[in-house]
Amino acid sequence: MKYLTTINDKTFEIDIQGDGTLLVNGEKREVDFRALGPAFYSIIMNHLSYELVIEERQEHQVEVFMQGRLYDAKVMDERAQLMAARTAMLMADSGEIAVKAPMPGLVVATPVPEGQPVKAGQTVIVLESMKMQNELKAPRDGTLHKVHVVPGQSVEQNKVLVTIT
Amino acid sequence: MVTKQTEQTKIKKVLIANRGEIAVRIIRACRDLGIQTVAVYSDADRSSLHVRYADEAYHIGGPLPRESYLVIDKLIDAARKSGADAIHPGYGFLSEREEFSEAVTDAGIIFIGPPPHSIRVMGDKLAARETVKRAGVPVVPGTEMGLTDDELLAAAQHIGVPLLVKAAAGGGGKGIRLVRDLADVPGQLQIARQEAESAFGDGRVYLEKLVEGARHIEFQILADMHGNTIHLGERECSIQRRHQKLVEESPSSFMDPELRRLMGAMAVRAAKAVHFVNAGTIEFLVDKDKNFYFLEMNTRLQVEHPVTELVTGIDLVKEQIRIARGRRMGPTDSVLEPKGWAIECRINAEDPYQNFMPSTGTITTLNVPTGPGVRVDTGIYSGYEVTPYYDSLLAKLICWGEDRAEAILRMRRALDEFTIMGIKHNIPFHQNLMNSFSFLAGLFDTKFVEERFSMTTYEEPFEESDLETAAIAATLFAHRQRQLASQVVQRGTRDTSNWKWVGRWERMHR
Repeated sequence: MKYLTTINDKTFEIDIQGDGTLLVNGEKREVDFRALGPAFYSIIMNHLSYELVIEERQEHQVEVFMQGRLYDAKVMDERAQLMAARTAMLMADSGEIAVKAPMPGLVVATPVPEGQPVKAGQTVIVLESMKMQNELKAPRDGTLHKVHVVPGQSVEQNKVLVTIT
Repeated sequence: MVTKQTEQTKIKKVLIANRGEIAVRIIRACRDLGIQTVAVYSDADRSSLHVRYADEAYHIGGPLPRESYLVIDKLIDAARKSGADAIHPGYGFLSEREEFSEAVTDAGIIFIGPPPHSIRVMGDKLAARETVKRAGVPVVPGTEMGLTDDELLAAAQHIGVPLLVKAAAGGGGKGIRLVRDLADVPGQLQIARQEAESAFGDGRVYLEKLVEGARHIEFQILADMHGNTIHLGERECSIQRRHQKLVEESPSSFMDPELRRLMGAMAVRAAKAVHFVNAGTIEFLVDKDKNFYFLEMNTRLQVEHPVTELVTGIDLVKEQIRIARGRRMGPTDSVLEPKGWAIECRINAEDPYQNFMPSTGTITTLNVPTGPGVRVDTGIYSGYEVTPYYDSLLAKLICWGEDRAEAILRMRRALDEFTIMGIKHNIPFHQNLMNSFSFLAGLFDTKFVEERFSMTTYEEPFEESDLETAAIAATLFAHRQRQLASQVVQRGTRDTSNWKWVGRWERMHR
């Protein structure tokens, strides 16, 4: 089975063959990979030993914690790559972006009125949570299409706060 | 004025009016002393560690602090029902509220903390300032309370810029306005009064000189009812962001024996000025010329108390209980020579790559560092849910070494071992800070993190070989998941029913 695995914009072609042989970009690697318990793994490669915590975040997204650092990996098999390419074409120019609550909280301010242009990085919502005021910013340039909440309102996680077109 | 209460009282059961890591910390001290413990919990904390570790637990209301941990009547009610003879307030919540300490005492329960009078005076910034100033403790040049705008304007000329307009009732960095030009003073005064009025219901403001390039250095105080007041040396708390401390250490690399003796003596004097009893902290601002000024007193246990414990060998919570019992405290002399070096990193549920945005969710995997010189105070566990109701402190990682270099190396090692998955946290910030030249050299002030530190400057680039190893691991993991999934699916995909299949198989093997 061939996989394309991307970490930090660097993509590795990893081929796991039926007999367990593992190739990285066509080169053979001797890998001893053991599951130790829920989420814990051990790898020994060329006598280099690593302890890892690996968890799946969502489909194709895997978090690897290794030697004090967290790696976000995207693991795509051939079928998934094909599907992703197709979806990307459909998504390319769908217009509306929703800014959602990253956590439950209290809406403190909605600084941009509907219909006004916004720049990428401009604060569109101030949300209070964990005793802190958090500024949520526009992900790209556009027009503030609709404000879905009012200051003083409590919101759940993932609630759509404003939409930008 | 001074009433000597020297008779000893028994404490057999303590109610902890708090949650999270500090509640666990206090329960542990009680256990060590053979004292029974009572936890209180909100709807959000039924499964929390402090509830599980305590001998008894009482539900006190909804998840919002004002529905539970801030309701004095519910806490006293729980103490009565459980038969607790003392209440430990921890830090935050009601710990510095005079009316709580009073209500507890009125209910015939021992308050493990200072008398109401000390809390009242030190809780009012202006009263605190006036009181310690009268005792000869240096304070930041500024004005007294209750001045009119005209008087404040005249005073501003004397103090000079830059200066701060502060609300008398403010705290935690709120109600402070900076003025860099004398011409702006009238306008800023008006805004500050309005803000203070709406935020605290108290429009009194005062002026204070801004000490630029200042360090925040504080002294731990212990005082018992027998008239003994000592200090346990300093804590360096200049690594902070938006007035929230992130890293604390003891001793401070800025300190010398003479300055410690001088500041320590002033800290003891300030505590005595309010007839302080139990554990408290005197905070100072120290400028680059080692001039120091009293800032405020915290009349409770501090979050960062463990660094003092590690360099003095004193268990502060046990001393608090001993003092509340009316006994003489263990240590008798101030600590002028701390043993070794201790550093604390506050591990918060905040994403340092997203402007320290708080993160909520379930902790899926937790691996806590251990080994020589490493201490972790925490209330989290694998499966713990980080809710938006309380502050973002997940754990305190405290490392001790013979000297500062060893403490930093241990801290680096422990930070690398610390594994918290499922939510975003600030461990990467601490790792980068421990790599920064300014921190290593001990050259920083309270503005360092906000003005001169960035996550990109000190972040080590990923090694190509590490990226490959992680990619291989991720792929093998995904491959396994896929195989497991396909096995599950395949079971049902036989073209005949399982019963028929088993029948054929049995016939074949007959």
